[in-house]
Amino acid sequence: MAGPRRLAVPTRATVIAADGRPLVVDGRTVDSVRESWLIEDRWWTDRPLRRRYWEVVTTCGRNAVVFHDLERGAWWTQR
Amino acid sequence: MIVCVLQPRFQLTVAAGDRTELLRVPAALAPEPGSAQRVGEVSLAAEAFGIHPGTQLGEALARCPRLVLVPPDPAGVADLWERLLVRLESIGAAVEPERPGLACFDAQGLLRLQGGIDGVLAAARRALRVPARFGVAPSRFAAVAASTHARVRRPVIVSGGRAQARAFLAPLPVALLRARAVLAEARLHETLERLGVQTLGELAALPPTALVDRFGAVGLLAYELASGGDGALCPRQPTEVLRESLQLPDAASGMQLERGLGLLIDRLLARRERQGRTLRAVVLSATLVERGTWRERVVFREALADPVRMRLALAPRLAMVPAPAEVLRLAVEQFGPVASDQLALKDESTAARTARLREAIRQARAAAGPDAALRVLEIDPDSRVPERRAVLAPFEG
Repeated sequence: MAGPRRLAVPTRATVIAADGRPLVVDGRTVDSVRESWLIEDRWWTDRPLRRRYWEVVTTCGRNAVVFHDLERGAWWTQR
Repeated sequence: MIVCVLQPRFQLTVAAGDRTELLRVPAALAPEPGSAQRVGEVSLAAEAFGIHPGTQLGEALARCPRLVLVPPDPAGVADLWERLLVRLESIGAAVEPERPGLACFDAQGLLRLQGGIDGVLAAARRALRVPARFGVAPSRFAAVAASTHARVRRPVIVSGGRAQARAFLAPLPVALLRARAVLAEARLHETLERLGVQTLGELAALPPTALVDRFGAVGLLAYELASGGDGALCPRQPTEVLRESLQLPDAASGMQLERGLGLLIDRLLARRERQGRTLRAVVLSATLVERGTWRERVVFREALADPVRMRLALAPRLAMVPAPAEVLRLAVEQFGPVASDQLALKDESTAARTARLREAIRQARAAAGPDAALRVLEIDPDSRVPERRAVLAPFEG
């Protein structure tokens, strides 16, 4: 192992969203949004971090946490 | 500066032995008994028929019906490879063996000692005493790629940094990604070729996010390699070799082999070089009557110096020998601590449990490598960014 391996590293998610709100996550329709929050960090560096997190429940009962990378525009899932 | 030492078709050459004519006709290493039905290393003539290492046996024979299958010689390969690695280490190189026939080392610490990179290569060539190809580059993957383009007397040297390595790799085919076991297993190069990505330069020009999206972590690794990057080398710990062999008067199997094994264990334990140490891992091998060899690595559940328990652990492995043997060998691969099973005066259950846990971790690491036992280490548990909260670190019992 080259160095310590990080846990909870985000993985890419396929999300269909409308007005920034996720409607379908990895092919599963979102039933309800439990919580949403914004994280902004390292804004003083060249690589700022801005994420809009969504904790959602899909129609199959699965709880998922996804975020929209507001800097780069991609959707990620994170446990 | 990473130096790659390549001996092409090493396993096939060793298995062919003195039958060098086999290397000029379509030939391939036969699958080992009990393993997947795929051919091993192939000769240049076999490559012309589109046969590569890992091709299904049926497909290989369909492509070339006169393909000669050479029985593998895993014990001979391991022995010769170990000798070559020791010779490389004798010049002061910290060697990372990738697979038999391919090894890398960092030349940085040897440059002043040997008088530059040419001096390092000359010293390595003298130490090896067999022809080999040398590639030098800033990253391990680029060095491996350079060695495949080198000649025995003409090493390929890529000077500079990551950008120069990337420029060197750009025109080379994506099939070179097969050099990395994890990528070869995923057969990534085949998928990339089907998608129209033919060279490493085209791969490095793709957006990394798209590669992660399509291939996951394997795609990111391929992008990193094609961009001239790579992980740090992980050199092996030089080990001392202790082995015993027994020439069997007649082709032996079954009970005769077990008696021979008992004799080998007794001889090995009687060697003065053991210095009272226990044995953690051993390699049992045999030369078969019908050419070829058999090799099995055994990691004991706990480090042993008891011949009866060693025989109990090793004897069942003899049933796996695929044919009668004419030579049986037993070698120590890793030593344990000096034998000292003293009973405690007091009942210290916590200490005993910790000791057992440490022992289990040592066993797991001996069998599966340093990543076998890890623990979650909290580095910033209150961080709002989840991936900064914890890492996996080596478990220290």
